[in-house]
Amino acid sequence: MSVHVFGIRHHGPGSARSLRQALVALQPDIVLVEGPPDAESVLPLLADSQMRPPVALLVYVPDHPQQAVYYPFAVFSPEWQAIHYGLQQQIPVRFMDLPQTHRFALENADPSVDILADILAGTLASKPASPTYSDPLSLLADAAGYSDSERWWEHLVEQRQDSTELFAAILEAMTVLRTEVEQADGLEPLEACREAYMRKTIREAEKQGFQNIAVVCGAWHTPALVKMPPAKSDHALLKGLPKLKVEATWIPWTHGRLLMNSGYGAGVESPGWYQHLWEVGEQTELISEQDRNECTLTSSVLAAPSLSLRSQTSIRWLAKVAHLLRQQDLDASSASVIEAVRLSETLAALRNRPLPGLPELNEATQTVLCFGDPLPMQLIQDQLIVGERLGNVPEETPMVPLQQDLQRQQKRLRLKPEATEITLDLDLRKPLDLERSHLLHRLALLHLPWGKPQSVGGKGTFREAWRLRWQPEFALRLIEVGIWGNTIESAATAWTCHRADQATLPDLTQLIDQTLLANLPTATTHLLNRLQSEAAIASDITHLMAALPPLVNVIRYGTVRQLETAVVEQMIHRLVARICIGLPVAAAALDEAAAAHMYELMISLHRAIGLLQQPPVSEMWQQVLIKLADQQGLHGLLAGRCCRLLFEAGVFEMTDTARRLGLALSTATDPPQAAAWIEGFLSGSGLLLLHNPALWQLLDDWVMLLPADTFTALLPLLRRTFSTFAASERRQMGEQVRQAGRTENGGQPGELDTDSADAVLPLVAQLLGVVLS
Amino acid sequence: MTTAKSKATNSKTTPSTPMHSSDSLPSLLRQHAEYQFANELEELAKADTRQRPPNWKLSPWAVATYLLGGTLENGFEVTPKYIGNRRLMEVAIATLATDRALLLYGVPGTAKSWVSEHLAAAISGDSTLLIQGTAGTGEEAIRYGWNYARLLAEGPSMAALVASPMMRALSAGKIARVEELTRIPSDVQDTLITVLSEKTLPIPELNSEVQATKGFNVIATANNRDRGVNELSSALKRRFNTVILPVPDSIEAEVAIVHRRVESLGRALELPAEVPALVEIQRIVTIFRELRNGVTLDGKTKLKSPTGTLSPAEAISVVNSGMALSAHFGDGSLKASDLMAGLVGAVVKDPIQDQVVWKEYLETVVKEREGWADLYRASREML
Repeated sequence: MSVHVFGIRHHGPGSARSLRQALVALQPDIVLVEGPPDAESVLPLLADSQMRPPVALLVYVPDHPQQAVYYPFAVFSPEWQAIHYGLQQQIPVRFMDLPQTHRFALENADPSVDILADILAGTLASKPASPTYSDPLSLLADAAGYSDSERWWEHLVEQRQDSTELFAAILEAMTVLRTEVEQADGLEPLEACREAYMRKTIREAEKQGFQNIAVVCGAWHTPALVKMPPAKSDHALLKGLPKLKVEATWIPWTHGRLLMNSGYGAGVESPGWYQHLWEVGEQTELISEQDRNECTLTSSVLAAPSLSLRSQTSIRWLAKVAHLLRQQDLDASSASVIEAVRLSETLAALRNRPLPGLPELNEATQTVLCFGDPLPMQLIQDQLIVGERLGNVPEETPMVPLQQDLQRQQKRLRLKPEATEITLDLDLRKPLDLERSHLLHRLALLHLPWGKPQSVGGKGTFREAWRLRWQPEFALRLIEVGIWGNTIESAATAWTCHRADQATLPDLTQLIDQTLLANLPTATTHLLNRLQSEAAIASDITHLMAALPPLVNVIRYGTVRQLETAVVEQMIHRLVARICIGLPVAAAALDEAAAAHMYELMISLHRAIGLLQQPPVSEMWQQVLIKLADQQGLHGLLAGRCCRLLFEAGVFEMTDTARRLGLALSTATDPPQAAAWIEGFLSGSGLLLLHNPALWQLLDDWVMLLPADTFTALLPLLRRTFSTFAASERRQMGEQVRQAGRTENGGQPGELDTDSADAVLPLVAQLLGVVLS
Repeated sequence: MTTAKSKATNSKTTPSTPMHSSDSLPSLLRQHAEYQFANELEELAKADTRQRPPNWKLSPWAVATYLLGGTLENGFEVTPKYIGNRRLMEVAIATLATDRALLLYGVPGTAKSWVSEHLAAAISGDSTLLIQGTAGTGEEAIRYGWNYARLLAEGPSMAALVASPMMRALSAGKIARVEELTRIPSDVQDTLITVLSEKTLPIPELNSEVQATKGFNVIATANNRDRGVNELSSALKRRFNTVILPVPDSIEAEVAIVHRRVESLGRALELPAEVPALVEIQRIVTIFRELRNGVTLDGKTKLKSPTGTLSPAEAISVVNSGMALSAHFGDGSLKASDLMAGLVGAVVKDPIQDQVVWKEYLETVVKEREGWADLYRASREML
């Protein structure tokens, strides 16, 4: 009976390949992998033909899905290869880390009562993690003269061609390192528990009579698993750990989320490069195997010694780079690729490396293919070095019904989740596009921003543009909102209704807009009911005014989106009635800021009522506007706007409007009020002024009458109004002013002096070569 | 066609043996790198056990050490020639080792010619095979000319040929240097294509050619600021590996560069003044960096940038002229007033625009900065 411990780094193609070779050589009868035993039920899915990494194991607390943990795997993860090997050989594969059921419970435990500390009291000293502990490899890398522990590991382990003795060497190094670190800092309590559980799993396997046990774990843990302390102390550590119900599943993952800087602790810097290393390795192995088996002419040509793994790697990589550059319309000839390969190999030799690594290849690319320009390198970083891609999980993966529904919908609507950003243009007149839009809006309601709406140019309300990008966390969010329903539609409805019950009037109006776009009739009805009851008790007239435009939208979009609008119409009538009754009081005695707010509301309300095109409503609104225009003490801004709106609607005659303007500008009115009135009246378009000389004259007279001081004081207010006009309008006004001035000065165009004109005619005729008749 | 790599040509045109013998060295204003650092090159060659590419005087590793400095196993100290990114130099050396031509690219004053001279000195032991690119550079400067007296007397022959530095480098297997490649008219530039891709220089008049010996290569330098003057044709560009030399990243690196160069130049020019204190150099470098980047070092104040490039090379010359002033007209120690004349000259290249930039800088930055009052006073006197 023997236990073999393989120390690995979590993502590394070299480790992965060495591990697989070692396992093939060892022929174990059980494989134990560092991972959550809670997820053992979904483990067999890994060998499914539809499973395509990068994927992640998701372990979560079903009652509280926010509490979750991911275990990402790429094809070049050694754990992935170990499990794959075990499943293929049909030998038991087990996870052996401390189960998440305990770890979640520990996290939840009241921090004042530190269970772990209690357990460990007397056995181990608990000390805060020191910086060396967080990256123990850096100690070794420092000693070897490397600045970066990842580079060091890559050169020593990942790029190694010959893997014999590798794992023994790792074990040796780690043993020395651990003794040093533990002497200095002690062991973290959680780490101690995890290792105790790993040992426990190994002991169990031994007890069950497995003869050849392969243990795959992070390099750091290897010494603790080789030298087994008495079972009793481990039992003591693990006794009485709290528990929590957890569930596990597979979810698709992305390369971007494997990155170190995405916040993933065991992340790598270049998943795309690792993927490349792994794939090239696979191909070379395949070819050499064929070569051994068949020894045909073609295969021996392909596997010629010159095409060994080492040169394959850089050649294929640079060929990919050239391909990418060509796609972007940048010149990249094969001759340049040849030179880049040569340069990268010379650079590697200069730096005493056995073969070019990513830094050498990048430098060669920049120097040869990009003519020294660093800009295209960014492209290569994004597209190749990270190499964004989204994994795939088989259909049989346990999923909450909501996830399954989403997958069905995605398939039906032909919307594939992708890790890179894609844009989608929808024509809402087509049924398929309309349904897609509904789905995206529903997901947005559920806080799953898969698509981000973009503003579209062009006319018509039937177009929608989206930017789609799938994030791995959406899977968790789906589980989280799974409690609201089993289909996207029902969940979105239930969730919206739930939110509606707590929302205030302004929030409700926002929600109704979104719900409408998401085509959730039940939720819309519920929202309308809520809106009605909220509106009934709402005392704030501004809230009511804000609520109306979205409701008008309901009617407006109703035809495109096939909605029942009768209820809404009824409600609009009621709302308008209430607004019209309340507005004169609400608009009285407002200060500057409140008046500005009211002004905005009034404009949007007016526009909404205009859209509605229902004479009774418009009638009612006009009446209240007339009332407001005559109301004493109304803020100038509002009074002016009322006058303008009524004038445009044809209710006020030209003479009437001129009279009102005259009144507003008369000396009895405070000049600032008068200026505000002008702002309200003119703001937005100056055409009115241009085409009505009477109004123009009134305004002109008023300005002329102002004392110099008051004029200076009012100038900013007037400027504010006039700056909203279009440039051409302002120019025309300027011209009008100038002309008016000239007329007053008597600058009539003089009569032609025919005598002087005649004098030059002969010369002009001579110049033009014509004879004067 | 005979491929006569005529011996006669070779003997006539052996690399211009320097006109100075070792005893006449001190009188030279500036020595070639291979003489100035002969000692270092010799020590490096002795200690160098690594594989050398054909016709290289040193192995690539030793060339890297020569450029970047370091300590040999026997304790011999090699001074750094280039202070900056090690990777760039490695790429440059690796390029030359793969027999690809090297194009050093960058704003003026970023040590392009300096690096090219030292690379040629370390690799071929000869940095004199130089073609200076100008608007008037003709084809004969890159290919060959004729000795017309001989041509008329004896007719076309190898003996009547006047070889260019390029031709000599080809036949001797050495590094040829082309300075300011983008200044050369485009049609003349393209003469290089045959040399770089076929590694041969045809002589159609004699129905012959000169083929490159192993070790031959070309280092060209070109200027960012001249972009678009005589842009390289894509056929030619493709035959170069391009290394862009940046301005120094950090103020420490720049101070180190200026200090080192001022020291060695001062010795070469026999300036009696002592090498200025680091503080003075730091001030100059600070001013240059701030004006170049358009923002003060603390990142708080935005500044206008003058039209000139303000490279380290100019900082070096400002300090040098300051030293000369203080040595001959002052008390021998570098003062703010000695520096100021050179400084204003370096910054104010355009009499109107740059004058405004400089005045603003003086009033907003120099005046306020603690301990810079002397500089401010000196500059007020200047303007």
